[in-house]
Amino acid sequence: MQARQTLATMKEPQPAHVVQASVNGLFRTTHTLKGMAGMLGFPNFSRAAHRLEDIFDLMRKGRLRSTDSLVETLEAGMMALESGLANLRMGRQEPDDYLHSLRRPLGELEALARPAEGGTQDLTSLLDLPAEMLKTLSEYERTRVTVLLISGMPVHGVTVCLDYGTFDERLRVYSETLGRLGELISTLPMDTPADRDGLAFLLVAACPALEAKDLSALEGELVGIALLADPTRVPAALRNEVPPEPATEEPPPEAPSAAAPPNPPQAQDVEILRLPAQRVEALEVRLMEVGQLRDAASLLLRQAPGNGDGRPAALLGQIESGLLEVQKALLQMRMVKVESLFSRIEPMVRSLSRDMGKPVKLTFLGGDLELERNLLGRFSEPFLHLVRNALDHGLEPPSERAAQGKSESGSLRISAAQRGRNLRFDIRDDGRGFDLERIEARGIQLGLLKAGQVHSPERLHRLTLEPGFSTQERITQISGRGVGMDVVRTEVEALGGEIHLSSEARRGSLIRLSVPLSRAVVSCLKVRCARQTFGIPLVNVGRVQAVKKALHGGDQVDVLGISLPLESLQACLGLPEPSGQRAFVVLGQPGAAARSVQVALGVDEILGRGEVLLRSLPELAHAAGIMGGSAQEDGILWVLDPEAILGLAMDSLMRRVARV
Amino acid sequence: MDLLLSTQDLREVVAAMPVAPLPGRPQGIQGVVLYQGEFLPILAWEDLPGCTIAPGRPVAVAVLRRRLGLPLDRMIGTLSPPPGAWQELELGDPRERWLSGTCRLGGQTLLQVDPDRLIALLHRLREGR
Repeated sequence: MQARQTLATMKEPQPAHVVQASVNGLFRTTHTLKGMAGMLGFPNFSRAAHRLEDIFDLMRKGRLRSTDSLVETLEAGMMALESGLANLRMGRQEPDDYLHSLRRPLGELEALARPAEGGTQDLTSLLDLPAEMLKTLSEYERTRVTVLLISGMPVHGVTVCLDYGTFDERLRVYSETLGRLGELISTLPMDTPADRDGLAFLLVAACPALEAKDLSALEGELVGIALLADPTRVPAALRNEVPPEPATEEPPPEAPSAAAPPNPPQAQDVEILRLPAQRVEALEVRLMEVGQLRDAASLLLRQAPGNGDGRPAALLGQIESGLLEVQKALLQMRMVKVESLFSRIEPMVRSLSRDMGKPVKLTFLGGDLELERNLLGRFSEPFLHLVRNALDHGLEPPSERAAQGKSESGSLRISAAQRGRNLRFDIRDDGRGFDLERIEARGIQLGLLKAGQVHSPERLHRLTLEPGFSTQERITQISGRGVGMDVVRTEVEALGGEIHLSSEARRGSLIRLSVPLSRAVVSCLKVRCARQTFGIPLVNVGRVQAVKKALHGGDQVDVLGISLPLESLQACLGLPEPSGQRAFVVLGQPGAAARSVQVALGVDEILGRGEVLLRSLPELAHAAGIMGGSAQEDGILWVLDPEAILGLAMDSLMRRVARV
Repeated sequence: MDLLLSTQDLREVVAAMPVAPLPGRPQGIQGVVLYQGEFLPILAWEDLPGCTIAPGRPVAVAVLRRRLGLPLDRMIGTLSPPPGAWQELELGDPRERWLSGTCRLGGQTLLQVDPDRLIALLHRLREGR
């Protein structure tokens, strides 16, 4: 229905960029419908949606012009799908061809858009770019280059070299500026010039004219502009082969010059239009599909046994596993390796180390872990600030270190580890530590602390994160970066994370950041307890063992010559105690030494292992020991938080001892 | 117990789905359902102070804007009570922690749920306060 409303608005005169945004949206909608219908076993519906999707694809690529008759045909097509959907809901059989009544106009449209020679026109070869770079343009980007050149719009290349710390924000500013001036077609990474630090990009944009002053470059930012393709180089014979822009049959503006471009789009529309990269589009389409399919399929799975639906369970199982695959693929697209954060830190540290004259031994751990791309975008700046602070304020100059008997090179260790539903980052240096006396004095001076009271080291460390604590001196020391520790804390807490500081005088500092993951793929050992299914992350599973004699909470079990205390999972989670269990899982911390805490966790049944898509629980539903859940064919599988379970098991065992 | 929910506080009302009970569930929450691809916590009415609603077989779930599901036995309809129909709860009424007041209409008393108070209460219950 929404698609039909969008189509109705397209009958009114609209600027070209608004039409383009509408067509892109309709393309995604029909693509989603196609996927959903296919997954749910309605092939004819899927085929019909595919046919409409093709028409929208031709429109968005500029191969079909949006006219009243085209829009009316598509409206009729969407109505046919809508009414077909209503019939399916009532349990009626699928028709062979949902679009039967439209076969003639649709056929005409498809024929109209088909190139005479059976191929498609591609003018990207006119771009003055290396062949390797041209190869990275997506099909959509190629089409936009072609359409825009034929419509008389020059294509420019803007090269920028941006600072590591602020490149996300600056790139967004450049993209939006180019979007306002015309159309941003692609953003491509480039090699950073040898004499520069930072990250370099090429932004390919079509706009009438472009000068450096249009781009709001900051001082020190290296910006270059080049004309990549001049529309006058488009062979005259091609000018009419591709309709210039998908647009309504609006009268042309008065007295346009031959190469006059369309009016630049309005800023508020630019956000919608400027998502040309196919990866982003595919991500969006899949996101919608997965969300809707997951809900529909889960509901079906639960309703099927009771309502006599008759759908074979095997088919539902296939849908479920197919969904998991799609979700995993989607998740992979959403995730980036922590390594990508580390790779930004390394050159920054090298550069700062050189500038400050402080040699640093930099080590990273946990780069293989993954975090969500949007999280990385928001997390990077506060993280980089903390690393800069560690170098600037934490590590001493070589002479001072030598005088203290330390090696002249400082040590900076940055590690990432998954702890429960959180990704935990540690920034550890072996510098001077926080000057707690000075912090206390400053706190009293600013009225944040009362004189004459004892303030714990934890309180004093925490004080540096308070708004207003920053002194003029500190601001000067981090000038040009625009953020203080209070801003870091605000950013991290806005992500639902936490920051914790600790230090020891002359021994070093530890800054620990935890940010929650909304979802992740976790390899689990599946077990059953109290008629519910649980997953234990495999990285925390030391051993799985079955025994003949029934075990009870508080028993000791022998595991490879080591005696371990056993506690039932039920006792850990506050569920009724089992009468006896014949299997246990040795639970420990990943990569921890043998002497670290290990517990034998009693379970009712071992089910096997598998990968599950973990979704975190909303805050109101946080339950002790549960990291999140995963929708499975037979209900929700609860993924245990191993660290929390270890703590709960120890507490329960202590209570047992106290009761004796 | 007949309740009033402001339509401004509602995201939507959906058909009831089987609730997955949370092991060691927090007070006030009976479990979760999958809603729009995410877990939605479902209220346990019986845990609310002064609430006489017993666990039953709800037909619908009212999804609040602040992402909390309220299981409903039935939906009566919509109304716009006149300003004079509103009354404060009596002082010391335990339901004050999740209701904003009552509405007297045609001899019937309707209780208005206050989502802000309700969610604040659930947070306090979770923290054991």
